[in-house]
Amino acid sequence: MWWLKDVWVIDPSQKLSAPRDVLVKDGKVLAISDSMTQEDVLAKAQGESFETIDGKGKFIFPGLIDVHTHLREPGQENKEDISSGSRAAVRGGFTTILAMANTQPVIDSRALVEFVRRQGERAGYAHVLPIGTVTKGMQGTELVEMATMKEGGVIAFSDDGKNIQNAEVMRLALEYAKLTGLLIISHCEDKDLAGEGQMRRGVTSARMGLKGIPASAESVIVARDLSLAEETGGKLHLAHISTTESVKLIRRAKERGVDVTAEVNPHHLIFCDEEVGITDTFLKVNPPLGSEADREALIKGLCDGTLDMIATDHAPHTQAEKTRPFAEAPFGIASLETALSAVWQYLVLPGRISLDRVIEAWSCSPAQRFGLQGGSLVPGAPADMILFDPDFSELIEPATLVSKARNTPFLNKTLQGFPVMVWVEGRLVQRDRKVL
Amino acid sequence: MKWQRKDILGLEDMSVEDIRHILHTAKVMKEILMRPIKKLPTLKGKSVVNVFYEASTRTRTSFEMAAKVLGADTSSIAIAQSSVVKGESLYDTAKTIQAMRADLVILRHPSSGSAKFLADILAPGVINAGDGQHEHPTQALLDIFTMEENMGDLEGKNVVIVGDVLHSRVARSNAWGLQKLGVNVTLVGPPTLLPVEMEVLGVKMSHDLNSALPGADVVMALRLQLERQKSGLFPSLREYSQLYGLTTERLKKTGKQSIVLHPGPMNRGVEISDDVADGVQALIEKQVTNGVAIRMALIYLLIGGSGNVVA
Repeated sequence: MWWLKDVWVIDPSQKLSAPRDVLVKDGKVLAISDSMTQEDVLAKAQGESFETIDGKGKFIFPGLIDVHTHLREPGQENKEDISSGSRAAVRGGFTTILAMANTQPVIDSRALVEFVRRQGERAGYAHVLPIGTVTKGMQGTELVEMATMKEGGVIAFSDDGKNIQNAEVMRLALEYAKLTGLLIISHCEDKDLAGEGQMRRGVTSARMGLKGIPASAESVIVARDLSLAEETGGKLHLAHISTTESVKLIRRAKERGVDVTAEVNPHHLIFCDEEVGITDTFLKVNPPLGSEADREALIKGLCDGTLDMIATDHAPHTQAEKTRPFAEAPFGIASLETALSAVWQYLVLPGRISLDRVIEAWSCSPAQRFGLQGGSLVPGAPADMILFDPDFSELIEPATLVSKARNTPFLNKTLQGFPVMVWVEGRLVQRDRKVL
Repeated sequence: MKWQRKDILGLEDMSVEDIRHILHTAKVMKEILMRPIKKLPTLKGKSVVNVFYEASTRTRTSFEMAAKVLGADTSSIAIAQSSVVKGESLYDTAKTIQAMRADLVILRHPSSGSAKFLADILAPGVINAGDGQHEHPTQALLDIFTMEENMGDLEGKNVVIVGDVLHSRVARSNAWGLQKLGVNVTLVGPPTLLPVEMEVLGVKMSHDLNSALPGADVVMALRLQLERQKSGLFPSLREYSQLYGLTTERLKKTGKQSIVLHPGPMNRGVEISDDVADGVQALIEKQVTNGVAIRMALIYLLIGGSGNVVA
């Protein structure tokens, strides 16, 4: 049992943001109240021993839920595996992560869905929940056995990494997925417009002679998929939104009542294309970093609820792969271990977005939309939660990262604001920045 | 002036002083190059390695000759027969060359930024012999040298660069370098090959060659990569050539005895007509000769030892 004294609790699911005492017992939140005495706690403990944590100056919030991670297992375990990825997750404050389906082989059958789930349970850190592909082999033509995969525990369907180019296939997916009640997640990228592009098309790409990806590569698919969701009444989730035009399209679709949610990645909220230098492969990401105006539109969209969630799009790669000329390096930023601190330091501290909104968008909303455990600390809820120390600072260096990957723009930089204790179902899995 | 550069990566971040110093040094080098016995002992014992990941005739040969005239030993890595085909990365290839104690590496590579990537890794100097669509500084320097040789100070002169600007490292390097010397540069091409974001180069842009030509002291035609037609960037060679091809007739529109440059290799009848290419206004062969002089100057400045100043 745990007694967290005098800690600031942020739980948007119960509109709570205040200093409280929190009791955790039998894997669940037992009680949250203004203050507790030793006698109160002893009475509730019913003979069980407990540890008392002084939470002064720190925050408790529901564990973060990341609906977009690439854990690379099966197939590319040199980049990451489910064990290392789920350890990185709890080190970064995530108690539930959704694993994208573009592994080798891709997750397009019940057997593979169950494999991912089982590997997550074996690792025993964050809850690892599988996303399945929409189409067999991610070929964009035939639908997977969605109902069967749901029995195996699939959480949502996505051909992420490879957009479904055929609009009719996307339309059918939105229709057929109604059988399962699960979301179709769109990767939002027109293959032809994106072409061989390496970064956002604009003056920076023009100056460096790097092939550009126009903003329309995203927004034309966002427009298409919103139309299809509206027409079919299907449930749509849009991954890694990065352009002003997409935010506008989503805002208008929501006004019309389209069943859509959207996520934004921390790096698109923090960086823009002008900051990308010609050898900065650690900022090479897909969708690419946009303009400063896009960054502002995304922050606004997240604050006003047009963008529902924050998700990392954790994309681990090896150092050798990233130590190449820009055009030859793979897209992606590994971010499970740094994302929360980066958002704290770059967005919350300067007052661009409230901590309450961050927790709502990174924990409560994902739980509600994807129908997951977590995202709330109401008494009786599983104790998936984190103790966040806003003053803790840390140098991001290879020696301390538990992810196999080091492709982060924060490498060898100091970040401030870290989770210092993390519980999954009441079990402490990270303490003082060390995974237990 | 004191020469402090380890590498030559591009003209965007090169100072006017450095550019002038290179041009001045190249003038001396050209005199040496024009001697009947053109061999100096200056760089005896120094090794220059050419690493060319793209096909090249003139640039590679030009670097080799430049190094040899100065007395350096040269080696070339032909990528088709190297470990690269076995999957060796540029990083490992570079480390290997460094371990062989090369003094200078000349890199031609299809990826923009590859020269800086290499320069950040290697202790020896790197000369960018063309990196993707980014920069081709030695080409721009030889172009500038050729212009100056023919018309003196370039301040206030008008240069029109016509063609596939978007994909051209030659255009980028020239735009940066010429502007620093006070030249009025106009880029010309169809909107697909000269999109609005090219404004980043800070020069005038036009889609109409005829209206850009009057007053031009120099017209530079860029090589058109013929396969770009397949990507839909222009509809046909016929229409391209009608709109942007350099012909005798069109050249008259400058109203001057303008000079014509082309970085080669030429697509005769596409971006440049035979009579212009072979005419008196074209200095294309001079460009090639001056290319050797410019590369001699750069090699000398980078590995020539203390002082690096020619009389």
